[in-house]
Amino acid sequence: MSSSSQPVKTLSLPEKLGLVSYRNQSKSEIKPHIRVKTEICNSTCPHQCTTYVCPANCYTKDDLGKVHFQVEDCIECGTCMYACDQGAVSWEFPDPEIGRGVTWNFG
Amino acid sequence: MEDKFDCIIVGAGVAGLAAAMTLARQNMKFLLIERGEFPGSKNVSGGVLWGTDLHRLVPEYWKEDAGWERYIQHRRLTFMDEQSAFSIDFKSSHFQEPPYTGVVVLRSRFDRWLAEKVQEAIDASDYAMDSFIATDILVEDLVHDEHGQVVGIRAGEEEFHAHCVILAEGVNNLLTRKAGLQEAYVPADHMLTGVKEIIRFDQAVLEDRFQLHGNSGMSNEFIGYATNGVEGGGFLYTNRDTISIGLVLGLKDLREKNQKPYDILNHFKTHPAIADMIRGGEVVEYSAHVVSSGDNRVMPKKLSKGGLMVCGEAANLLLNAGKAIQGMDYAMRSGILAAEQAVASKASGDFGESAMKGYEKALNDSYIMKDIRNFQDAVHLLHDPVMTSKMPNLICDFGRNFFSIKNQPTKKSRAMLHDSIQKHASYWDLLKLGARGAKAL
Ligand SMILES: Cc1cc2nc3c(=O)[nH]c(=O)nc-3n(C[C@H](O)[C@H](O)[C@H](O)COP(=O)(O)OP(=O)(O)OC[C@H]3O[C@@H](n4cnc5c(N)ncnc54)[C@H](O)[C@@H]3O)c2cc1C
Ligand code: SF4
Ligand code: SF4
Repeated sequence: MSSSSQPVKTLSLPEKLGLVSYRNQSKSEIKPHIRVKTEICNSTCPHQCTTYVCPANCYTKDDLGKVHFQVEDCIECGTCMYACDQGAVSWEFPDPEIGRGVTWNFG
Repeated sequence: MEDKFDCIIVGAGVAGLAAAMTLARQNMKFLLIERGEFPGSKNVSGGVLWGTDLHRLVPEYWKEDAGWERYIQHRRLTFMDEQSAFSIDFKSSHFQEPPYTGVVVLRSRFDRWLAEKVQEAIDASDYAMDSFIATDILVEDLVHDEHGQVVGIRAGEEEFHAHCVILAEGVNNLLTRKAGLQEAYVPADHMLTGVKEIIRFDQAVLEDRFQLHGNSGMSNEFIGYATNGVEGGGFLYTNRDTISIGLVLGLKDLREKNQKPYDILNHFKTHPAIADMIRGGEVVEYSAHVVSSGDNRVMPKKLSKGGLMVCGEAANLLLNAGKAIQGMDYAMRSGILAAEQAVASKASGDFGESAMKGYEKALNDSYIMKDIRNFQDAVHLLHDPVMTSKMPNLICDFGRNFFSIKNQPTKKSRAMLHDSIQKHASYWDLLKLGARGAKAL
């Protein structure tokens, strides 16, 4: 089979995110540009939708169903700012010097 | 004041760069600020830049083999069910002559290239040493005078002053909200999330597969199975040696249907019609970005105030009526219009509220607001559940019958259509849809 007849490999999300160029990766301490009041996620939120609508899976649920937020993989899409209707997300753009965020190669 | 700019533009996307080019050509002293490492580095689009305004900004851009990917010669709109694809397909040598009807762009390259052109225009202006494109700077706030007029911006500890500020910050318009022109929280109702992949091919394979020659290209939009029951649509555009493939998904519907955008994208790519188009390719980028629906209910209340104008998707200028997404051309034109107002205001010395309204008036009179107003019904129709599954299923079912030859007596097309309608919808659905469609388009 020639290579042009191979089906495209289906990538898992971590593989997809592996293709993203993140900024300030060498810095161990970064300033998070999104802050989430997870006490709201874990008490009154009826849908916990950010755990599935975030295109980079930055909002995760542990074995006990508890919501956690990690900013490292965030691709600055903005989705969670609109999707969270519970007032738990405060959303800023990453600081160019000490934040994370992306640099797209194609865009 | 010596170091006061005529204008500060926030954001070097399409809108900000179009504004900057206009200012540079009109000999204005300005500062264009971008938070990314370089213009375009933060931006995601489908993307076809529709129309001919690019030619206005960079005359005869097609003579240069840079910046853009391919011009649109071939257009296709595809309805999908699980197994089938029924397309309206149009290819014409009419589309082959510049100025083209649209060009496919990759923003990380396109915006960067356009910024180089802006720099050339700055160099040729009277303010070669005083106008700047500054990257890696995040604008955090606006600066107001004692009358509430905007007179500059703040980034970290630093303030920069200007007679007026143009916000071209894109859909995630934090400063437009801070300026009080839009609510601080914008709900998911009329917003979509776009997810996209870039798939690379051997260029000759790509050109053969999509029947391209030279820099000709194809745009394909998808309705139905593509989005797995979620409101929205799919797209596939040909670049030089890659394709852009992706989805725009209604955010509220995604929330309600409990679906993950990247799963839906993977699912879309397994459709037999898509799988054959992307065979042999290698995924080289995955990206995502929010995009507005173009529903005018999410438009900021006002697009200007004293010393301030808002353009591009920050002003929610977008139209997705099914056959194309228009965001970049609106960004470009609105950026030009805002800059033209800044030029007029410099001449009159008036940057106050009523002067800035001149921009809103120009926008209202332009094709942008005319189209946004005229096609609101089409925007609503596209987000109707009938359009996400019933309609595409019906069309594909009819297609399958129409194109099948079975060595049996064949029904007349009318009877076939009747069968498909019975199976997937009702005449009542169709009647409603037909009436709305006729009104919408
Ligand atoms: C998946 C997808 C597909 C699309 N397909 C198409 C298509 O085919 N055709 C089309 O015409 N449109 C398409 N669009 C819409 C189009 O991409 C947008 O409408 C367009 O990019 C808007 O341009 P803009 O200049 O207004 O904003 P943007 O392109 O978002 O640019 C805003 C700029 O401002 C900068 N910025 C923001 N805030 C700050 C700050 N505080 N300080 C400094 N800099 C700041 C950002 O970094 C960015 O560079 C698509 C969108 C998506 C997501
Ligand atoms: S929607 Fe908001 S409150 Fe609910 S889990 Fe997500 S971030 Fe938390
Ligand atoms: S901005 Fe997008 S990628 Fe980042 S956390 Fe929010 S939803 Fe996820």
